[in-house]
Amino acid sequence: MLELRDLNAHYGKVHVLRGVTMHVEEGESVALLGRNGVGKTTTLKSVMGLVPPTGGSVNFAGTEISKMAPHRIPGAGLGYVPQGRGIFPGLSVEENLLIGLTKTPPSHITDYVFDRFPRLKERLKQQANTLSGGEQQQLAIARCLVMQPKMIILDEPTEGIMPILVKEIRREIAAVRETGVSILLVEQNIKTALRLCTRVYLMEKGVIVHEASASELENDKETLHRYLGVTV
Amino acid sequence: MTVQTINRAGTLLLVVFTLTAPWVLPLFVDSFWVDIYSEILIWSLLAASVNLLFGYVGLLSFGQALYFGMGMYGVAIGIAKLGFGFWGGFGFGVVLATAMAAVAGVLAVRLTWHYFAIITVVFSLIFYFLALSWKPLTGGDDGLPFGMPPLISIGDFELTLTDPDVQYFFIVLMVGACYALMGRIISSPLGRAFVTVRENDLRASLIGLNVYMIRLSAFIVSGFIAGVAGALFALFGRYASANFMFYHVSGEAVVWAIIGGVGTLFGPIVGTSLLIVLREELSHVWAHYPILVGIVVILTVIFAPKGIGGIWTSLVHRFAGANAGKGGDQ
Repeated sequence: MLELRDLNAHYGKVHVLRGVTMHVEEGESVALLGRNGVGKTTTLKSVMGLVPPTGGSVNFAGTEISKMAPHRIPGAGLGYVPQGRGIFPGLSVEENLLIGLTKTPPSHITDYVFDRFPRLKERLKQQANTLSGGEQQQLAIARCLVMQPKMIILDEPTEGIMPILVKEIRREIAAVRETGVSILLVEQNIKTALRLCTRVYLMEKGVIVHEASASELENDKETLHRYLGVTV
Repeated sequence: MTVQTINRAGTLLLVVFTLTAPWVLPLFVDSFWVDIYSEILIWSLLAASVNLLFGYVGLLSFGQALYFGMGMYGVAIGIAKLGFGFWGGFGFGVVLATAMAAVAGVLAVRLTWHYFAIITVVFSLIFYFLALSWKPLTGGDDGLPFGMPPLISIGDFELTLTDPDVQYFFIVLMVGACYALMGRIISSPLGRAFVTVRENDLRASLIGLNVYMIRLSAFIVSGFIAGVAGALFALFGRYASANFMFYHVSGEAVVWAIIGGVGTLFGPIVGTSLLIVLREELSHVWAHYPILVGIVVILTVIFAPKGIGGIWTSLVHRFAGANAGKGGDQ
């Protein structure tokens, strides 16, 4: 579904991504983990065209997207929920959901989204900046879902959210996964990542340094400690 | 009473006042105020063109006078030099302004913030100096006067803007159509896309919006609106002049829009009304009245950054809220 091959990216003269190679299969959920500043978010931004790659390729569903304009990528079926939610606070919940769509989504899609996020249905006319952090995150995910993506990229979806809502968000992401949508997840919360994903990539200084199944990694205390500085 | 009801009542009041002004205004003030109100309506369109770009898309243009001037010159050149009739001249002015906006926009909307503001001023200055120097076509410093062709001519029956009532209602009709168009755009998916781009262009592109095309669309619509204003002003004054293409005219439109309240449909009418009325009342009392205007602007920006439109909105919400608290109409 998504394949990054020898992906390189720079911020000015700083070489941030140094040949990232990874892939996500159709219907698979994969986590990209690493300490702060190792290049996880840059990897996602490069995939979405926000940080143009300086080398390598990004192939999504058979199409090379590394040279594509960012606004064309969602249309190819790749949804992105950026760090810090990425909603439009001045628009209503409904407008946030519909903006970016060229036509009204079919009713089974809106029904599905509102079944998953009943709070949003109750607050359709409410301005998005009046929602709580967790609700805003739900809105960001819901907005992605109404675009009917084949794959969703989530950048730290539980960051800064009340613990009670973290569970809810986790449940929603799991439900999305169950529908067959592929997921690439960047998370600081290792437990969440290991619970939601089947495969994990570990990143350090702009390169993938380790790949393992979630269950293997959960038991590999040494690797977890070496690359993430934590134990689960 | 709901916010919507109060806003509708305010809009209705404005419409009723505008439609009856030629008869109502002379009952209270000198009849030349009808002409001033016509002028306010025209200038408000220029401010509205600034508002559309700044208030809805987040692009601050200091070059709207260019499209206003193109509208003016299109009418004057069309009628005086090319022998067009009324509608041909009017249409030529609007098309010229819109085409100019499309050409300038292709380059300008690649930039944002101060870079965008600078390039809009530069475009406006280039054509200001061109209009000044191309005397055979534009009349240079003297401007380009023209005789008013009839609006409608059927046999002996003629309607022309030399009739003050015809002129007033023609202006009202055109200005009203422009506001209706802007209202329609703002409430459409394109209008929501404008706001999305204003709020965060990066996020907008991440949900599949073509930010460049959205900005370009707004720029062209805004040039069209400024062009209609310029064409109307040429018909109102029976001439075109390069002075109206100078950047201080663009600056005044920015001030009117900010005072009225950017991001609100009718804010520009309010801001333009206030500042033109101030100008009319103060300019013959005190030659340095722009100082007072400056103070009003500074105070507004500091204490009411959303302008009079913002004050109106918060008052309406407070009133509607208090009413709801008393169990009023929901």
